[in-house]
Formats: sequence, C-alpha cells, structure tokens
Amino acid sequence: MKHHRFRALARLLAVAVGVATPAIGGAWAADPAAGQAVYKAQCSICHAVAPGRNSIGPTLFGVVGRKTGSVPGFHYSPANLGANITWDAGTLDKYLESPRAVVPGTIMTYSGVKDAAKRTDLIAYLETLK
Amino acid sequence: MRPGMASIAATALILAVATTGLRGPASAQPAQRARDIPQSLMVEHQETLERLETLAKRPPPVGPQARKVLELYKEHSAREQEFILPPLTLLLPMSEGKVTPDMRWAIPMTDRVRAEQEKIYVEHATMIDELNLLLEAARTANDADGIDFAQTAAADSLNDMELLVPMVLVIGDYLHAKLPPAQ
Repeated sequence: MKHHRFRALARLLAVAVGVATPAIGGAWAADPAAGQAVYKAQCSICHAVAPGRNSIGPTLFGVVGRKTGSVPGFHYSPANLGANITWDAGTLDKYLESPRAVVPGTIMTYSGVKDAAKRTDLIAYLETLK
Repeated sequence: MRPGMASIAATALILAVATTGLRGPASAQPAQRARDIPQSLMVEHQETLERLETLAKRPPPVGPQARKVLELYKEHSAREQEFILPPLTLLLPMSEGKVTPDMRWAIPMTDRVRAEQEKIYVEHATMIDELNLLLEAARTANDADGIDFAQTAAADSLNDMELLVPMVLVIGDYLHAKLPPAQ
C-alpha cells in the first residue's frame, strides 16, 4: 500500500516538473513488481499463477494472449465460455475494471480494480506469466 | 412448575389464543412465515458464523476486518435464509417426481431470486472484496485460520453463484410449469 502511495506521489511530481516516466502509447510505465502485489491482494484468493493449477478461477499463467474459456480442465460459466474475447492489455484493462460490464453473466464475483494505475501494473505482471 | 411460572404461562396462552382469534383463520394475506432451509446448509452457515466470530475476536489486523466480514455475512445470510435457500428444501420431493400445490409457497421466492440476480451478484462481489482484505490481514498476521477461512469462503461464494442460485431458478421454472396459476 505504501509502495502505491509512493509511486502515485512520484507520478504527480513527474507531472509537476514536466518529466514523465518512460511510457508506451501514452500510458504510464507499468511496474510488474507492483502488479504482483496487486495480484496477491486482489486475485490470489481465487487464481493461482502456476501452469495448469486451476482453483476457484482458472490459472492466470499464460492469460495474456489466450481466449476466454480456453483453459483445459477448468469448467467455465456459459458467459465466459461464449465471450469470445482474446485477453490483451486493452481487453484485460476493461475487464479488470468491471468484469460484469465486459462479460455480462460472468460468475466471477469481483467488483474490479478501480485504480487505473494498479490495473496497468497488474496487467504488466500478468504479461510476465508465460 | 412454580406457581409464578404457571401463571405467566397461563397468561401467555390466553394472549396467544386471543391474538390468533383476532387474526382469524380467514385473514386475507397472512404474513409469510419463515421457511426451513436444507439442514446441510444450516450446519454450514452455523460453522461459518462460528469461525467468523472466533476471527472477529482476534487483535488487529485480523479482528477488525473479520468483524466487517461478519457484519456483511449476517446480512447476506439473512437474505439467503429469507428467500434464496428455502426453495431448495423441495429438491428431494421433486427428485421423486412429486410436485404438489402445497409447494406453491416457493414460487414468490424463486421469482424474487430471478428478479434480484444482479443484487445477489453484487453482494457476493462485495463479500469477496472484504475477504480479500481479510486474506491480506491474515497473511500479515501469519494467521493460518484467517487465511483458510478467506479462501474457503471465496469457494463458497462460487458455489452459491454456480450451483445454489441456478438450482433455485430451475426449481422456480419447474414449479411454474407444473403448477397452474392459482384461481
């Protein structure tokens, strides 16, 4: 939590002095280590990250680049199975902000990560899981 | 029984009879009485409550967060016992092919579950948010019971959304199909 506050302050200071951290596509540079902390606090209750280890939710190993409803051995809800979304930074960002807005009927009972910076970090961490 | 107690009991009996008489057997819309829920779920709820009450007595950071979860759980459990879980008591007779007009009481409940599906989802999502915080607190405190409770409760939440709620909806559809509307 303190780490996030520090990063937010650093970003604010960077804006104030007109210096941005290296960015891709206009977004703030993401921090996979901070994203791992977000994963631990927000996702690990239901999702493992080891390959093939499904839990309450499917493993997040290899999530970036895969299609919805495609993890072997995990029984999906019809909503996720039929969503036909490929998870990339853009689709994950929208989904993680509000899962049911993107996949109506999903039974992933999660309100979402409302902080955009945390989502960016989380996605950067998910991208390392391959 | 002591005389004092006997007189209290007699007074209570008279009051009860008088109250029943006032309501009358043909009152238009009797208040919906609380219905049973399946015994297995009653035991599960009781166990969850006891575990949470134990965690709620712990020092910070686990105790205060467990108290928040406990408060949410009590509200959630009350709603479940009010209208979500009672229709599940019909599963056994229905599985034997029995559908009788006296099962009609469940229809308003299953209709309400269908109408409140989104609200039920939001309740579960809110619960997961608080369980995430409990998990984080339990990890910080190295509290194995707290960690286990949070993870088990998250699994229970999926069970509700994946099995219990859909089962209630199927029961409702079945009752609607088998029991023509009351004249």
